[in-house]
Amino acid sequence: MPAMVEYIQTDSFFHRLNPITKILWTFAVLIISFLFNSPIPILVILLSNLLIALASGIIKQVLPMMKALFIFSFILILCQIFFVDEGKTLFYAIPYFNIGKVTDAGLNMSLVMSFRMVATVSTIPILMMTTPMTDMVVVLVEKLKIPFKYAFMFITALRFIPTLMGEIEQIMQAQMSRGYNSDTRNPFKKMVIVIPLAIPLLVSSIKKTEKMAISMEARGFASGPRSYFRKIVMGKADYAALVLLLTAILSPALL
Amino acid sequence: MIQIKGLSFLYNDSKEPALNNINLQIGEGEFVGIVGPTGAGKSTLALCLNGVIPHFLHGEFYGEVKVDGKDTVENDCARIAYSVGSVFQDPEAQIVSTRVEDEIAFGLENLNIPRIEIAARIKESLEMTGISDLRDYSTTQLSGGQKQRVAIASAIALRPKILVLDEPTSELDPKGSLDIFNTLQKLNKEYSITIVVIEQKIQLLTEYCSRLVVMEKGSVLLDGPTRNVLANQEILQKIGVNSSPVTRLAYMLKKEGLYQGEFPINVEEAYLVVSKVLSEKRR
Repeated sequence: MPAMVEYIQTDSFFHRLNPITKILWTFAVLIISFLFNSPIPILVILLSNLLIALASGIIKQVLPMMKALFIFSFILILCQIFFVDEGKTLFYAIPYFNIGKVTDAGLNMSLVMSFRMVATVSTIPILMMTTPMTDMVVVLVEKLKIPFKYAFMFITALRFIPTLMGEIEQIMQAQMSRGYNSDTRNPFKKMVIVIPLAIPLLVSSIKKTEKMAISMEARGFASGPRSYFRKIVMGKADYAALVLLLTAILSPALL
Repeated sequence: MIQIKGLSFLYNDSKEPALNNINLQIGEGEFVGIVGPTGAGKSTLALCLNGVIPHFLHGEFYGEVKVDGKDTVENDCARIAYSVGSVFQDPEAQIVSTRVEDEIAFGLENLNIPRIEIAARIKESLEMTGISDLRDYSTTQLSGGQKQRVAIASAIALRPKILVLDEPTSELDPKGSLDIFNTLQKLNKEYSITIVVIEQKIQLLTEYCSRLVVMEKGSVLLDGPTRNVLANQEILQKIGVNSSPVTRLAYMLKKEGLYQGEFPINVEEAYLVVSKVLSEKRR
């Protein structure tokens, strides 16, 4: 089972951008999504995310995530749409009894919230899938001055996802071969079932962490000032992208 | 190259010492195999060589360990890392990066080696381990044997004079294990790196190592050239160190009084022994 957000190697325009540009892009999407208060412009941003994913060759991985986000946002809509009283009443969820009033203001607000959520959250996996972790760390430490230990913690956590997935698979097979039934659709039962998997996983990952710490120690980890093999520079494409982002942020003010 | 004098070590929260008065001298360019049953203190000894004991894992430490002239108590792990490269058992747990190149750069970056120098060292250590074609691979794509060779490349990128490996093939298939030992042989012969390898697969050790050290209960039980150590079959079998089938065959022939001579270390030599015995019988 592949990890949710793993770097996917292709040679695309977006892959080649400086990680900083891409981080700024995620912030720009966030800012623009909050500047607008009607669903259409936010939908446009959402589509632009999809377009970037398509151009980067990661659309196959991004679409299922978008779908999951939409399901989640639909639940959020259901939680609040009936509680908006302002605006014209459009229809009722249960017409004959006039229960579940939906107004235009309510619908507008819900759509804005939902698109906003999907647009802003979906930038993160796109960023992760198009940026090698080591490059990310280099900019985080060298440009954004985040202490190396924290940046390292972050990438190792990501690096361990596939390893732990493999481990879970192994533990699950071991438990199943001894007659343990882990096959159920009931989410509450599933939670109880996961416990016998979680304990061996916890034990083995702590052991793995210790081994990794020893191996790092033997290679002089955190022994003093550190150098970086990768060098990341801003290219022409990065400056062009930054200008584009800036205009996009300023455009709602001009409109 | 390695001098161990009266080394004893007791882990915290433990009553039995893991190492008990070890004395060992290993010269430059030697290829030494360490065997012994589980709990003999082999891994602890390896951790004493790279300074992880006493700097990272703590306990009661007696005696003296000197690697490449450096005392492991006075020098920290990073300084010892320039002299001793380490490779461990679990290929998964010792790889920290997602790209092969970055994994090899890891130690160099930690020691603040300039960027241009790092690029040259990566190329060099990939060539030395014969995995130049893996340079742009993602570490998750690699097989166990490839991962271990990346780990070796990462260790020798610091240009150590000594390479210490703790059961590097225990999670590998026969092909992967052979690849590792061929790589080690190349590093030993062509670059005269001193190699100390802990290994359960005795067949590999007998074929590749010039010297064997047998440990039991924290002490060195036997130490000497491979063939001489293998001659002590009674002791080896008593402590549960299995010898390779060819050695056992020669031992049985000796016990029957059919063969006197050196112990064979591979199938070719065993063939010569057996044909000699058979031809004598025929006469």
